[in-house]
Formats: sequence, structure tokens, C-alpha cells
Amino acid sequence: MSPSVILLLSVCVYLAIGVPVAFALGLSTVTALLVSGSFPMLVLLKETFTGIDSFPLMAVPFFILAAELMSGGSLTEVLLKFAGQFVGHKRGGLGYTNVVALTFFSGISGSALADAAGPGSMMIKMMDKAGYDRSYAAALTASTAIVGPIIPPSIIMIIYALADDNVSVGALFVAGLIPGLLIAVAMCVVNWYISKKRNYKGDGQMPSGPEIIKTTWQALPAILLPVLILGGMRAGWFTPTEASVVAVFYALICGKFIYRTLEWKAVPDILSRSALLTASVLLIIGMSASFAWILTIEGVPQTMANWISSIHLNAWTFLIVINVFLLLFGIFIEPLPGVMVLVPILAPVAAKIGVDPIHFAMVVIFNLTLGMITPPVGGLLFVTSNVSKVPLSELTRELKPFLIAHGVVLVALTFVPALSNWLPHVMGFK
Amino acid sequence: MFLDKFESGFLNFNRWLLIIMLAVMSVIIFANVTLRYTTSQSIEWAEEVARHLMIWLTFIGCGPVLRYGGHIAIDNLQDAMPVKLAQFLRIVIAILITAFCIFCIWTGLDYMDRTQYQTTPSTQISMAWIYAALPIGMGMTLIHWLLIVRRYVLRREFASDAHFDATASASL
Repeated sequence: MSPSVILLLSVCVYLAIGVPVAFALGLSTVTALLVSGSFPMLVLLKETFTGIDSFPLMAVPFFILAAELMSGGSLTEVLLKFAGQFVGHKRGGLGYTNVVALTFFSGISGSALADAAGPGSMMIKMMDKAGYDRSYAAALTASTAIVGPIIPPSIIMIIYALADDNVSVGALFVAGLIPGLLIAVAMCVVNWYISKKRNYKGDGQMPSGPEIIKTTWQALPAILLPVLILGGMRAGWFTPTEASVVAVFYALICGKFIYRTLEWKAVPDILSRSALLTASVLLIIGMSASFAWILTIEGVPQTMANWISSIHLNAWTFLIVINVFLLLFGIFIEPLPGVMVLVPILAPVAAKIGVDPIHFAMVVIFNLTLGMITPPVGGLLFVTSNVSKVPLSELTRELKPFLIAHGVVLVALTFVPALSNWLPHVMGFK
Repeated sequence: MFLDKFESGFLNFNRWLLIIMLAVMSVIIFANVTLRYTTSQSIEWAEEVARHLMIWLTFIGCGPVLRYGGHIAIDNLQDAMPVKLAQFLRIVIAILITAFCIFCIWTGLDYMDRTQYQTTPSTQISMAWIYAALPIGMGMTLIHWLLIVRRYVLRREFASDAHFDATASASL
């Protein structure tokens, strides 16, 4: 048996019995090395180090840290108030507030988790108190939180750009803006429909002019962060990694001197939590690097590419096939290992068939991210269920309209490339 | 009693290592950006040192993440099985993870030996110091793992921590 067959078979077995993903990837590499004997044992170690030893990758720990620093203090409340002033008085107002607040918060955080656990959990409590069904509030939060990795900054995009040389972090960040807003709009539509059906009320009056100005002024530092990151990268002031470290100190200064809610004694906890999240991410990246090395050296991507071009799929059929495949794959695999293992294989094929790399990246990222809210295995469902104390089964029952809305957005993103690649091209990102 | 004391001391040591490494990484890179704009000079070793700290952080963090159950896994098959059978599967997993740690320590030491005369480009220290992250980190991971493995096998239970939500790492 060839090493790549052993590799793929063994990783499936390890994952199925419940070995943690990072260890399953490492163990299957060791298995393939041991059984085939065609490569030296040191491959695992060497390729794992090469996978982690990367300056662009350092944006991951820094963006995690920046979001943790930002979400610690009263910033979350300020953002909720800011979002609420525009939409709070309408029918289903708190639902819209939830969507808008999470969308803004995505501009600070790079992950869905931070959205759901921070402002998301707070919104669920508020909606519950105001008479919304708690399970509906939780489903809305989980479904909206997936804008986290779509709207920049985004950890998954940083990793995608490392796995595919044809796209840059900057281009992907900008490419996520329109799809992210589309998702937010889709979630608002679902909220409008359900609120009408169940008669969820709005809360009171629209705030007065001076009040709006005051809240906006308070929320400004938080809203400016994504502008600073994207603008700074576009202007060539800093690389994505440098932008991420600037975000860390920006968050520190905001929390300490502007919102004054960050205490020095909380900083070690924030650092250790960020370090643990970083370690869990980077370990998967390192292990998948050696895993992917075996696949590449065995020519699996080329074989796949040749096979797909031999059956003459055109770009559209290819995208449909990819969507179905990724949706199924995403049910069981989280976005991060998904990107690490699949992108080195699929991106060259897509490029060969003539799919725009940025467009393809958005389809893959959105698709795999959706996997976080598709039952039964969805990291985001677990987190939301945890913070809201809504049982998983009730949460899943409320998800249906949201999944349909996401499906519509996915179809739009798949068949209208301009939604993904128009903005980066206009803004001059490659 | 002694074991409890050892466990909390060991955990604390591991935690502060992580805190210091991440803090130093951030400060070095931020200082480098700031200096470039204020004095148009940069610290030439900044990037290299930060990268190597990140490697160390990954492997030193591996143990606590395992301890809190933060390494994502697919548990559906185990959930669908009778308890005894699921416990048997977890014994297999426990052996696999232990074997993997030992494999990493063993090849890591071998690799340190081979690379001890290579030096890093700007700081000129032996590469063995960088590669030592693997055997040391996986050695610490093994200790963490042995401390919780009994509870894991019996009930798939991990240690808990007030500041780290294990499900969190799945949703990044």
C-alpha cells in the first residue's frame, strides 16, 4: 500500500474512534511512516516545525489576544447599546440588535467563538428577559456568530492564505466584507419573519439625537479597529502580523485608558487563555503540515487535479460538487483542520479549472464555517448551548430557518463571484 | 497528597511559562514596529526570537490543552456505544496518545543531537535549543496526560479551569 493510502485510512480510523484531531493527524503520519518505511521518521518532526515556524502565522495568537483583551471590559455593553439605538425600537428589535452587535464585534474578533461567548451570551440573556424564546435567542446567536471568521480580521483566513499561495491575507480580509454583511442581512430577514409570526415586541422609543451621538462616540474606538487594520495593511504601513500586534496594544490601551475596565491583574489570565487557544490551533497546523507533506510528495494533489480535468468538469459543476462535498465534510470536521488538509489539494485544482482564487477561498471558508452550526457536531452549537444553558436538542430545532437562510447566501456566493472578488480588486488587493 | 501538590505546582509553572512567552512575543514585535516608525531602525533579531517563542508556546501549551479537553475530537461514535465498549475505545486512545508522546520525545532528542552544531541565523544559538521544544513539551504533555488519564478512560472527564473554556478551541 502506498503511504498516502495508509495515511488517509488511518486518519479516518483515528478520528472516528475519537482521538483528538491534532493527535490523529500526527499519529496517522507516524503510522504511514512506520508501515511504508519509505521516508525517514524525522519527517514528522521536521515538517511540523516548518509548519509552525512562520512569521505570517503569528497573526493568529495576536488576533486571539486582541479579541480577548477587547471583550474583557465594558466594550461589549457599549457595542450592544450602539447597535440597539438603530434597530431596538422595531418589532423583534433585540433580535436585530443581536445581529448588528455581533457583526460589529466580528470586526474585532477573528473567530466565531469570541462572538458567541462574548456579546452573544449577553444578548441571549437580554432577549430571554424581554420575552423572546431562549432557544430562539440562542439559535440566532449561533447562526449570526459565523460572521466572526468571515468579517476581518479572521483567523481562518490567515491560515487559508498560508495554505494557498495565490491569495493574500489582505485580499481575503477585504473579500469577507460583502459576504459578511450579506449573512447579517439574511439573519435579519429570518428575525423579521419569526418576530412577526411569534409577535416579539420591540423595546420602547428610538433614543434622542444627543444620546445617539454620545453612544456612537463611545463605540467609536471599537468600530475603528477594523478600519485601522485594513487601512494600515492597504497603505503598506504594516504586514498582517504587524497589524495584529498593533491591534493587541490598541485593545490594551482602549481597555485600560478609554473604557477603563481592564485591570492589570486580569491580564495574566487573558494571556494564558489566549496562549492555550493558540497552542490548540498551532498544534493542528503543525501536525497537518507533516500530514500534507506526505500527500504532496506522493503527488496526490496533482493526481486529483488530473483526474478532475480528465472528466471535463466546468467551473460551475466543479463548484457545486465542492459545495456538496464540503457541506458533508464540514458536518464532522471543524474549519481549521478542514482548511489545512483540503486547501492544498483543492485550491490548485480550482485554479486549473479557472475558478478565481479569492472567490474559491470565500466559498470554502463560508462552507466549512457553516459546519460549526450543522448538527450533530458543531463547535459553535456546543459553545452557545454552554453559555445559554439551552439544551442542544432545543437549539437545533430552532436552527432550521437560519440554515435555510445560510443556504441562500451560500448559493449566492457560489454563483456570483463578484460578491467575493469585486471589492478586493477595486481596493487594489491581490 | 504529594501528587496533588506536585500537580498544582506543575500546572502553575506551565501556566506562567505560557503567559511570559506570549507577553514577550507581543512586546518584541510591537517594539519592532514602533521603532521602525520612530527611529527607522528595527531590531534584527525580533522576528526570529518571536517565531521561536511561538514554537515553544505551541508545545508547552499542548499539555494543559489536553488536560482541559481543549483538543477537539469527534465523540459521536463513543456516545452511540455501550459504556464498556466506549471505555475500551478510550483505553486504545490513551495508549495511542501515550505512544505518540513517547515517539515525539524520542525522535525529538535524536533530532536535537543531529542539529546541535547548526546555529540560528541572527541570534547564533544552537538549533537544538529550538528543537528541544518538542521533547520537553511532549514530556510535559505526557505528565499532564498521565495525571488525568484515569478519569478520561472511565468517564471521558477532563480537568476544568475557570479561565479556559475547552469547547472554545473548537470554534476558532
